[in-house]
Amino acid sequence: MEIRPIFSALMRNKTGPLLVAIQVALSLAILANALHIVNVRQAVSARPSGIAAESDVLNLFAYSLKAGGHEEQLALQQAQTAALRAVPGVVSVARINQYPMSQSGNYSSITTSRSQLKKVAVTSLYMSGDSLIKTWGLKLVEGRDFTPADVWNVDETASKDYPDIIIITRALGRKLWPDASSYAGKVFYFGKGETARAVTVIGVVDSLQTPNAQVGPEGEFSSITPVRNTGWATSRYTVRAEPGQIERVTKDAEEALRKLENQQVVIESTTMDEHRADRYRADRALAWMLIAVSVLLLLVTASGVVGMASLWVTQRRKQIGVRRALGARRIDILRYFVTENVMITSAGIASGLLGALALNHLLVSKFEMERLPVAYLLAGAGLFWLLGIAAVYGPAWRAASISPALATRSA
Amino acid sequence: MLQYYFLLGVRNLRRNPALTALMVLILAVGVAASISTLTILHVMSGNPIPHKSERLLVPMVDNGPAEGYAPGDERHDDQLSYRDAANFLASKVGDRRTAIYGVAGAVEPVRKDMSVFNAGGLALSHDFFVMFEVPFLHGQPWSAKDDAAGADVVVLSRKLAEKLYGDSNPVGQRLVMMGFPYQVVGVADTWNPVPRYHRVIGGSGAFGDADEYFIPFSSAIRHEASNNGSMNCSKQREPGFQALLDSECTWIQFWFEMHEASDRADLQNYLDAYAAEQRKLGRLKRAAPNMIYNVMEWLEQQKVVGNDNRVSAWLAFGFLLLCLVNTIGLLLAKFSVRAAEVGIRRALGASRREVFNQFLIESAVVGLAGGVLGLLFSLGALALIGQTSDRLQVVAHMDWPMLFITFAMAVGAAILAGLLPTWRACQITPAMQLKSQ
Repeated sequence: MEIRPIFSALMRNKTGPLLVAIQVALSLAILANALHIVNVRQAVSARPSGIAAESDVLNLFAYSLKAGGHEEQLALQQAQTAALRAVPGVVSVARINQYPMSQSGNYSSITTSRSQLKKVAVTSLYMSGDSLIKTWGLKLVEGRDFTPADVWNVDETASKDYPDIIIITRALGRKLWPDASSYAGKVFYFGKGETARAVTVIGVVDSLQTPNAQVGPEGEFSSITPVRNTGWATSRYTVRAEPGQIERVTKDAEEALRKLENQQVVIESTTMDEHRADRYRADRALAWMLIAVSVLLLLVTASGVVGMASLWVTQRRKQIGVRRALGARRIDILRYFVTENVMITSAGIASGLLGALALNHLLVSKFEMERLPVAYLLAGAGLFWLLGIAAVYGPAWRAASISPALATRSA
Repeated sequence: MLQYYFLLGVRNLRRNPALTALMVLILAVGVAASISTLTILHVMSGNPIPHKSERLLVPMVDNGPAEGYAPGDERHDDQLSYRDAANFLASKVGDRRTAIYGVAGAVEPVRKDMSVFNAGGLALSHDFFVMFEVPFLHGQPWSAKDDAAGADVVVLSRKLAEKLYGDSNPVGQRLVMMGFPYQVVGVADTWNPVPRYHRVIGGSGAFGDADEYFIPFSSAIRHEASNNGSMNCSKQREPGFQALLDSECTWIQFWFEMHEASDRADLQNYLDAYAAEQRKLGRLKRAAPNMIYNVMEWLEQQKVVGNDNRVSAWLAFGFLLLCLVNTIGLLLAKFSVRAAEVGIRRALGASRREVFNQFLIESAVVGLAGGVLGLLFSLGALALIGQTSDRLQVVAHMDWPMLFITFAMAVGAAILAGLLPTWRACQITPAMQLKSQ
């Protein structure tokens, strides 16, 4: 086709085309990386916590002014649990020490043998005397859940004893015993050396995130121990409500706990949705900011291409008229401008692809971001080709529609 | 003449209104994006106490287990054990010293119409208030004697004082907190530095809510107030609070104030001697280097400014660059249709320099318009960002230097963008233009 004459014409007036190509290159480089970061962050913040139907789960924090000793605290815990169970719309209640995604909790180093000097993993330990599998709807993939007979009552001010059985997540099992196909019955250790405490895995759940819900596999290195502990004036509960009942259940549950202790208690409630929103606030803020920049980026680039294309067409009205008078069809004129534009955007896209890779290299090496998959580059390139053609189509068609006589007349 | 060109520039804004509006809008959006991200970065990475940040120092010893440790390995934790904190407090090094840990508990209001509520504060030494320049509304900090005696005294934040006592001065009042009666000795005026450099680890973090009250470290320890923050234990410890104090668990933060920035070497000597002495007692088995950080070094070490904020700022500047390239194109278009005007002016005797001045000032006018609009946009963007969370509210506010930078950037960017089109406009040869008419 008539690429050579178009190219020579472009070379005679380089500034405009060059500016458009630079715009396309910059946009492509930024857009590919921005959208990739957005996708990564949204995937991170949408990861399942392991809890089924999160929106139906409510968490309560109770701070009792008159907590008393070990026996009184146990009695109070039982009374609080019973009061919560009695609230209409409550499906299940568990006393708990921490929640997934709440960003504060218990972490311990573990090893798989007493002779290991370095930790193999860090696990977050959920402690509950009730069934978390039932309350949170965790998926048991191996072994069994705890029975009431497994539960230990531990006074943390006087004892450091803990049960010797544990339920772990599949991710933790994979980390501890990479080659094993089954984890039930295996033994691992809290701490190091001779004093390390041995525990036997009796059950494996599909997934349960840690309170920090880290981004790597360690975000699921959780374990559950059947402990009802005392030693603090505070208690945490997690409550599953019937679907759609959470707001009323929250109000009634708070009220029930206050009434139980004659108002001598501080109650604070949160939902899993709030924990999730808090945990991923920064990720979501960054994603929204990048989406906003990307949309503006596309608008600015499109307006630039449209603006420049209109300008060139106007400048070349006479030339179009002459060509039409000499027998060129409308489609020829249209093809000329579209080809010209594809040439310019292609140059921009080529340098944009290099720019995107360079920018990504910078982000990976300096800011610990992820590597850019090729798909983003291809999609970005395709997008800007389409954008370029769409932007030039209008002005080119208008130019092609002018009658030759009118176009050749001097301005 | 400059003034005339300026007015001409303002009048020319109305010429090609669509093109001009687009130019101003694009410039404004580019400026707003970079200014909002830059403001957040600027506030986050600012020095919260410039005049003494070199003299406020964090001491750090590594008390992690020796097993599995190799020189150069990462430090066990960025906090201290009770033992080290208590020893540093008792030392006579520096002008002032304070240990800090978070406490929280039920507050029982005297007023009967208010129910008990949970409040979080800090346990620290009386030096803290002078070291970190906490302003006082009523009363004053407790004394060194109170610290030594572990007295049950409390300094309330203004917010908590107003919640409990309204506008009246509560100094002298007794208040039951965490189950013990505390006497109010002072009310701190609103104080929440950005970032919260005094306690970056634990609690509400570097950009969180203000501390609600302050009690003596010795009183909190005496009442066995548990730590409201992060704690790191390298091995299982015995049960009970005394065992926690005796353990190598790390959970306390510490600051020294030195008389001169150059006294840092004295602190280093003290730390090295201290660590050697502790090693003789069978502690600090790693023999890792003892570190000192001043305020800015500490914020850097704790990665207070996240990578995300830096990436946002970089990408926003990339976007500004794109807007500039776009503006160059649009200015070229705008100026190119005025070839005839330049031709006539030049033919009538205007020098290239005059034409250059006129067009450059016209570009600057566009920049000024873009700057004003960009400023409005960035105020809106910052308000929007601030609304998404309380934590961002603290950092998303405009200050005077940033305001000035906004304008300088917009105008500078527009002039920069105007250089090429202006230069091209000057290249017009009058004869050619006049002939083609």
